[in-house]
Amino acid sequence: MSRVMRDRAFLSLDFNFLGTALVIAATGCLLIYSATYFTDPNLGIFHRQLLWIAIGIALMFLFAFVDYHVFFDIAPILYGIGNVMLLYLLLWGRVTAHVKSWIHIGGFQFQPAEFMKVFTALMLARFFDSNDRAYLNLRSFIIAMAIIGLPVLLIFVQPDLGTAASFAPLIGVSMFFGGIRWRVWAIMLVTVFVVLPIGYFKVLHPYQRERVMIFLNPERDPLGSGYQVTQAKIAIGSGGIHGKGFKQGTQAKLAFLPARHTDFIFAVLGEEWGFIGVIIVLALYLFLIVQALTFAKNARDRGGTFLSICLIAFFIFHVLINVSMQIGVLPTTGIPLPLISYGGSSTMMFFMAIGLLLNVDKRRFVNA
Amino acid sequence: MRVYRDDQKFLNFRINAVMWGVVAIFVFLAGSFWFVQGVQAEKYRGLSESNALREIVMPAKRGLIMDRYGKILADNQPAYSLAIDRVTMTPIVKSDPAHRPKLIQFLAQVLQLTPADLEARIEKEKEKAVNPTHPLIIAEDLSMPQVAEVQAHNLTFPELAVNPVQRRNYPYATMSAHVLGFIGEVNERDIAAHKELRQGDLIGKRGVELMYDKWLRGRDGAQYWEYDSHGRRLEEVTSARKEAVSGDNVYLTLDFELQRRAEQYFIENEFVGSAVALDPRNGEVLAMVSSPAFNPNVYSKRFTTQAYKEIQSNPFKIELNRSIQGLYSPGSVFKTVMAVAGLAEGAIGPGTTFDCGGSGVFFGRRFRCWQKNGHGAVSVERALKVSCDIFFYNTGARLGVDRISQWAKDLGFGNITQIDLDGEKAGIVPSTAWAATKQHRKWYPSETISVSIGQGPLIVTPLQVAVMMGSIANGGTVYRPHVVRFIEHANPDNTVQRYKVATQALHHLKIPTDVAGHVHNGLWKVVNEEGGTASNARITGLNVAGKTGTVQVIAQHGWFSTAGLPFMSRDHAWFASYAPNDNPQMVVVVFVEHAGAHGGTDSAPLAKLLYEARFQQQLENARLDLSNPETLQAIKEGEAPQPGQVPKAPAQPAGAEIGH
Repeated sequence: MSRVMRDRAFLSLDFNFLGTALVIAATGCLLIYSATYFTDPNLGIFHRQLLWIAIGIALMFLFAFVDYHVFFDIAPILYGIGNVMLLYLLLWGRVTAHVKSWIHIGGFQFQPAEFMKVFTALMLARFFDSNDRAYLNLRSFIIAMAIIGLPVLLIFVQPDLGTAASFAPLIGVSMFFGGIRWRVWAIMLVTVFVVLPIGYFKVLHPYQRERVMIFLNPERDPLGSGYQVTQAKIAIGSGGIHGKGFKQGTQAKLAFLPARHTDFIFAVLGEEWGFIGVIIVLALYLFLIVQALTFAKNARDRGGTFLSICLIAFFIFHVLINVSMQIGVLPTTGIPLPLISYGGSSTMMFFMAIGLLLNVDKRRFVNA
Repeated sequence: MRVYRDDQKFLNFRINAVMWGVVAIFVFLAGSFWFVQGVQAEKYRGLSESNALREIVMPAKRGLIMDRYGKILADNQPAYSLAIDRVTMTPIVKSDPAHRPKLIQFLAQVLQLTPADLEARIEKEKEKAVNPTHPLIIAEDLSMPQVAEVQAHNLTFPELAVNPVQRRNYPYATMSAHVLGFIGEVNERDIAAHKELRQGDLIGKRGVELMYDKWLRGRDGAQYWEYDSHGRRLEEVTSARKEAVSGDNVYLTLDFELQRRAEQYFIENEFVGSAVALDPRNGEVLAMVSSPAFNPNVYSKRFTTQAYKEIQSNPFKIELNRSIQGLYSPGSVFKTVMAVAGLAEGAIGPGTTFDCGGSGVFFGRRFRCWQKNGHGAVSVERALKVSCDIFFYNTGARLGVDRISQWAKDLGFGNITQIDLDGEKAGIVPSTAWAATKQHRKWYPSETISVSIGQGPLIVTPLQVAVMMGSIANGGTVYRPHVVRFIEHANPDNTVQRYKVATQALHHLKIPTDVAGHVHNGLWKVVNEEGGTASNARITGLNVAGKTGTVQVIAQHGWFSTAGLPFMSRDHAWFASYAPNDNPQMVVVVFVEHAGAHGGTDSAPLAKLLYEARFQQQLENARLDLSNPETLQAIKEGEAPQPGQVPKAPAQPAGAEIGH
């Protein structure tokens, strides 16, 4: 346990970063309250989110204070457990809304796939920590892809397309920061263009194909499957510049807006807090991302840099995809908004990521 | 220790590239949101309104108001109102400009209104509506042929909606109208004060309807239906549905039979005035009449009618509840207070006599007795019986105005009685302090003499007189009068809970028992001895005690009757009483405005009627065998319904069963 830092240096945490994350989570609580108090008068959803955040903050401090190199050491164990859970789901999981993505323990249920994001990032960063070539050779590339590919495959066949796709940033990080030669880029592109059509027609479920079609033309069937996007746009647009005010959103309150406390919570923000609220929340996210990328630059070692990049890549990916789908820039997928959307697993996962980012920043000096 | 490698530069370059890429995408997203929320905001706001879920209010049934035995005085009747749904109408009018004139023509024909009246109604409703999507109610109380006519044209005019509503109904019209009050449409002030109220709601505006509105109102329910942008109903958001909760039933303390007799008396004699009957043991108001009365059914209509205009323009101020809002000189009725105060303060004794020669000089002024020939030597009991002015002039002179004022206030004058009705007046009890602070002048001792016989600046309400009489009858306890006996609340599990209005003693006066005894004797003689002023109220088998009063309306020099004078110049007639004398169970105060006759002539007969109704059973027993001591005992004790012993509530009112 020599590498476990038993310092009292709570003050060495980056409080701007930590504070921003907490402000975002608090904003999320207000939005969840506003989105659900009307149809859930007992506020069960709201209270549960408060619990998730409390657990998340505890996890955050755990992942911030135990030296991240310790996590690199136990990464294979965490990664292994995560995969076993995903496998368990495939074999014995219960089907909830078309997919088997929940593990039920007692009264609670959680999505192992969310935690797997952090474990895979740790595994990948550990790999890059020891691989210090400027460019990946084929063997290293295949190992990196295999690390990512195993959980993605297990999630893809659940089948939870959105969550599987949310591992994409790790592939991007491996290729972009790991460094691959142009020949490999070319092979990748060809593969994508061959795999995409086959995947679309042979692998995707009809409801997933439908989602892609709606993405291409959301107004096609305003009361059918394009309903979500249409309703979200109406909610956001009707908010105008100043918004309708806290708890005043009619679209969200009156249950027009499906998944209004989870995937479409940003539309509630747009409706009630208007363009001003949207800009403030986007600015908070942008600050979080820029700060995390600075952590990556200043990290003490290659492992720390890669860990920071992998984790913040998840934030970038989730924020961009989720916010884009609110106004129909991208198709509707089940990608939650980090720290804001309701959900135990994703809230905990993002707090764990925040903790690890603080961890890398805290240990940027060798003798810290 | 690890060392930064050569590729640090490589990594930093790429991290920066990602950072600027993210910034660029954020700027793009911010721009997209600007497009949706800034540029296209109006379009989406419109979509939001029309696509929005609509709330369909399910009005709560207002609680019933009943008399003390469960006789229904206010209930609800099913009726139909006609509304224009503007959300449906707007697109139709946009696509067909001829639609609106056709609609106006159709409505004018169905509702028998001129197109101009109709337009005025629509405009007025539009002004009132806060929410631009709120339906406009343009007619209510549709007849069945009208409902059929509108529904037959449903396809031509889909924006017309016939809504079933519950109309407040007072089956006995003017009966006990001033106590019941009425309901009316909320105004902006009501909405500001009560957040749960909405435009167009009907709430209590007067009387019990106002004072107990919180209980009577109930809670409206609502259904939330999703509509698409074409105005098509999609589905109900059942999780948001709120069931209507009926209002609580209110049982009054009024006794229907007493109330009916009292009102009939005023109507038959064409009297203007007031009558109050209350139970001196707990302050329950058994009857409260203000005549003439209005018809409360008129008020709950949204659209001003001829009947409403008639109420407003009536010269007798018929909205005024004379029992609590009419301020009058108490006249000789006040001699009761003088007798109590004089005896209790020791200013006079039971044997003190004054010689009445028809007039007397006090503080340099000559004051007359109503009996110009004089009463001779009078003691306090006889002074009450014959209502001798001279006796009480002397008593007043001995007491001084401030002691009179203190006793009057202690007995409930000069302050509201705190009855559970709105708009109660306090009246005036003059004193030296009153003259100094309110009038900025000195009190003249000669004014005390006028006050001694209930004239001068002293003004009171009939209810205050009843409270005073009640506390003298019960030995000195001033009860807070109330018109509601209990409230009946139905729990969700169909059990019924009763909230009783508590008997509240405002204060206890220290009236020595011998003082009370002499006053009671004097008041008994007023009714029951030859030469008393209220022999009209005498009842065989029942000991009624009381005091008459006649109030001059015009200055009177000398002795003459005003009976032949024009109405507005005639005297007012009072009669304040209680019975039985030795165990008082009911106080009756009758006040007739401009009766022209003595209180004993016009007011006392009504008191008699009410006592006969109230003690009917005992009187019948008494006629059977007056010599039987048990019968007499029964008369004494009475068989008044005890508080808490409540009659069974009637089954569902007839109106509630005619559903839709």
